[in-house]
Amino acid sequence: MTGSADLPLLSDPPSYGTGRPPFQCEFPIAIANPADTNRLSLTGVTRVRRIKRMRSKVIWSSLVSLACGLSVSPMGSAFPGLELPGAPASEDPAVYVIRAEKLIERPGVVHENTSVLISDGRILEIGPDIALPDGATELKGAVVCASFIDPWSALGVDNGVLADTKMAESARTADGLNLFDVDHLFQEALRAGVTSARVQGGWQGKVCGLGAFVRLDPTLNDPKHAVLLPDADLAMSVGHSVNRGATFQRMGDGTFQMISGDRPTDVFDRVSEIEAVVSSVEAGEAYRRAEVEYKFKLKEWQEAIAEKQEELEDDFKKAKKDRDKKVKKAKEDGKEHKESKYKEDKKPREPKFNEDKAALARVAEGEIPLVVEVHRSSAIRNLLAGTERFSRLRLVIAGGSEALSCAEDLAERGIPVIVWPSLRGTTKKDEFTGATLSLAGELAAAGVPVLLGSGGRDADTTRDLPLLAQLAVGHGLEKEQALEALTIGAARAFDVADRVGSVELGKDADLLILDGMPLEPFTKIQYVFCGGRPAVTPEDN
Amino acid sequence: MKNQKLGTLARTAVATCLAATALTAATNAMPFSDGNIVIKAGQVITLDGEPIENGTIVIENGRITAVGKDIKYPWNAEVKEYPNSVAFPGFVEALTNSGMDRANENIDVAAFLNVKDSIDPVSFYFEDSLRSGVTTLNVQQGGSCVVGGMGYIVKPVGMTVEEMTVQPNSGIAMSAAPKSGKSRATQTLALRQTFDDLRRYLEGVVQEKRDGVDLATREALYQGREADEETSKGRPMGGNGWKVSNLEMIPRWEIDEKKAPLLGIVEGKTAVFFYCSTPGDVQTAIRTAKDNGFLNRTVLCLSSGCWKAADLIKQHNIPVILSSVLTHVERDPVTGEEKETFVPAVFQDKGVRFALRSAGTSGKSLWYQAALCVGHGMTREQALAAVTTTAAEITGLSNRVGSLAPGKDGNVVIFSGDPLSVMSNVEQVVVEGNHVYDRSTDVRMRHLETGAQPENTSAEMETGTPHKHDEPEEKDDKEPDEGENEEEKDDDHEGHEDEEN
Repeated sequence: MTGSADLPLLSDPPSYGTGRPPFQCEFPIAIANPADTNRLSLTGVTRVRRIKRMRSKVIWSSLVSLACGLSVSPMGSAFPGLELPGAPASEDPAVYVIRAEKLIERPGVVHENTSVLISDGRILEIGPDIALPDGATELKGAVVCASFIDPWSALGVDNGVLADTKMAESARTADGLNLFDVDHLFQEALRAGVTSARVQGGWQGKVCGLGAFVRLDPTLNDPKHAVLLPDADLAMSVGHSVNRGATFQRMGDGTFQMISGDRPTDVFDRVSEIEAVVSSVEAGEAYRRAEVEYKFKLKEWQEAIAEKQEELEDDFKKAKKDRDKKVKKAKEDGKEHKESKYKEDKKPREPKFNEDKAALARVAEGEIPLVVEVHRSSAIRNLLAGTERFSRLRLVIAGGSEALSCAEDLAERGIPVIVWPSLRGTTKKDEFTGATLSLAGELAAAGVPVLLGSGGRDADTTRDLPLLAQLAVGHGLEKEQALEALTIGAARAFDVADRVGSVELGKDADLLILDGMPLEPFTKIQYVFCGGRPAVTPEDN
Repeated sequence: MKNQKLGTLARTAVATCLAATALTAATNAMPFSDGNIVIKAGQVITLDGEPIENGTIVIENGRITAVGKDIKYPWNAEVKEYPNSVAFPGFVEALTNSGMDRANENIDVAAFLNVKDSIDPVSFYFEDSLRSGVTTLNVQQGGSCVVGGMGYIVKPVGMTVEEMTVQPNSGIAMSAAPKSGKSRATQTLALRQTFDDLRRYLEGVVQEKRDGVDLATREALYQGREADEETSKGRPMGGNGWKVSNLEMIPRWEIDEKKAPLLGIVEGKTAVFFYCSTPGDVQTAIRTAKDNGFLNRTVLCLSSGCWKAADLIKQHNIPVILSSVLTHVERDPVTGEEKETFVPAVFQDKGVRFALRSAGTSGKSLWYQAALCVGHGMTREQALAAVTTTAAEITGLSNRVGSLAPGKDGNVVIFSGDPLSVMSNVEQVVVEGNHVYDRSTDVRMRHLETGAQPENTSAEMETGTPHKHDEPEEKDDKEPDEGENEEEKDDDHEGHEDEEN
């Protein structure tokens, strides 16, 4: 398994099913580990440059359409020939200028008295004095910051998908979204300032399938618009698989007694489940290697065969002459002519396509992160030890109730932990036992990248995310770290930092207008912009 | 392996044939004529123009040749006169999962199966359909599948599937609603994989052929002879969806018989009846159909909650078949208020073409469903279209059934009064010019009405299966009580609906 680092990357991902949206594929996928943000900044730079080029055109076209009262498709004019998934479906090319006393570009980067110009759902200009274009709406606020992201949510996921214990690696949560009956839940989450989430089904199974990154806009009940990234991650779960069926237990008198299903997970289960996770990644790596090897072998064979063909064509006249002679001779002898035997190298066999393994290969190559929900310290240790040799793997730990014991390792390898700072009762003994509200703070203090999520169990806990973050802050997490966890940190972990997570040029206009600093108990949210549209206004609160 | 599957599908047919011959004798009592018949009725509702008072329908060789008032007809034709009754085109059941040995298969992708092997011609269901005036039925596999088998359109008359056939291979059932053991994510995955596998298979077959041809060329070059001409020429891939180039290298008979029906779907040759149970499923169905180029051959078979996706359906101009539960009830998640939606009205308002289905077990046949629509404020024309002309259009039979017009199949139902009235009865049914049902000789109906055992039936009662005789009692709601008026009728319908929900 030492060869993995030398393995050449396929420049084009497998063409069936699992392709990333086209705008992501414009740039070479070459991110080796989560700490390496080259790709993100590359993406950002290119996008900004393009936006600058397009900016005048966009504003002009939207103003023209405003003036004429026509609904010109904004995307069509801004990015010709490029359909962006997750683009706002709004037909109204509204232009907003927000004048902020304090603009938090990202945690730690604050600008005073700055304006933000929003058009077509995107941030097109940031600067101290932006003139108000005709027809634009002007809003004023004390503080403007990026809206919140829930990196571990169940909002909008069909209940059947959440409870599905048989999710395959290639099964997509995006396919299991039910965006028709969740308007009220989306609205609640928006009012709390959460505008996007990574949703994940199948938490009860060992394999939970591919998670999706969605925008929580109740007007976008078409997955085409709501899903920013159809496969944001591949998730697995340790220690939660239920319905394990009946088992037999040996009693004192030598007889066996049947214990009906759902016995609590024990340490041996966890060991085997961790082993399953590790061997899955290994299978993905092997699959990708076989794919690459086949590609090279095929190329070699094709070149050799092309050469041979040329040779044969050159020699054809001679071969024909020889054959004619032989045929003639055979006829004279009264025998049947026997054709000479032709031999060539066999074409290499293509490895059998397997969509599940293809998904695992993407994980092994670090194209998408692997999110493992794991709580016990022994399990986390085993997981860390088992995955150490996969240099490209981007591991994210969800839950991590006892992760503190491995904090040093986690910090060193830069593995983010999504903490659910929940007020769970301690009476029920389950995987979460051992987690305290100070977990996020202590992990962050030890240098582990901490994200805050709402647990991915119920659809309505996403609404509580800012409250949970404040709980974590109350128990030792730095406020700035908490804000980073809720915005750019979550975006970066799931490859959407070029779209959301901070207030920057070219990004989607997902932001909050507040009357005070974020995550303060008395701060009120005045406006929530979701995809360039004010989804929540002061009248809603 | 395939034979085994087909075996399970067809296993009952012969056995039931023998047992039920005697039972169906009453409805099929009339010997099959040559399909020439003239029907005169007090009123002819053609659904192809205004109703005709004292009209005449001329049927020759099973097809209608003329409909009108005082028209000429062949001197030797058999003339049936019903001066106090209403002639009506037979109802069209746009989709049914009954009349089969088993509605669902265990295997996910069963496109190579055909319901013709599963249809039971002597099923009580067909007899009962005839009794309610349904003369055309699209039999499809049920919704617990990823891709189901090929459907058949039949008439409820005949002792073999061949005799019953109106249109063979009417379309394939598919489901966006998760089958048991699957969730929406895994169901969608299975749908996607079905077509991905097909594409990969076809590309593989073409590549293999190409490699073979190339190898043969090189071999010929080496041996110093001219290469053989390529002889077997197939057709290139058709349809509006994705294409596999050079498919003409493969003659169609070389394609795996399990994959061939799927290829038929992608090429747009086969209609698809797509089951959806939630509005989210509608999105899945439309995406699947779009990705694979069969959107214009898709009919959505919706559960009642799917009305929420009506805008989306209208946007893609897809016809739908509604479930038998016409009123959707849900509780508002915030206020807890109960909200009722009458589903057909939603689709009518949006301008989506829709057909209705009868509720198989409760005796609510198509006339009842249409009457319910009228009760909820739709016009008679709109309601009747959903069980006749539109249903025929959706199943691809608009040139054959659904209305009384020259050139169409000679399917006529004689009602004792208004076809949508609870007071009316189906008195006679003519299917393709054959007089196949007469209420006065319907043994079961007589039993029901008199409450006594009909004459000369004691032998049947002893040897037959008595439980079958219980079923028609559900038809009770069709039997008028003395003095019941029209207003009470509507109340009655709503009462039934409430019970159902």
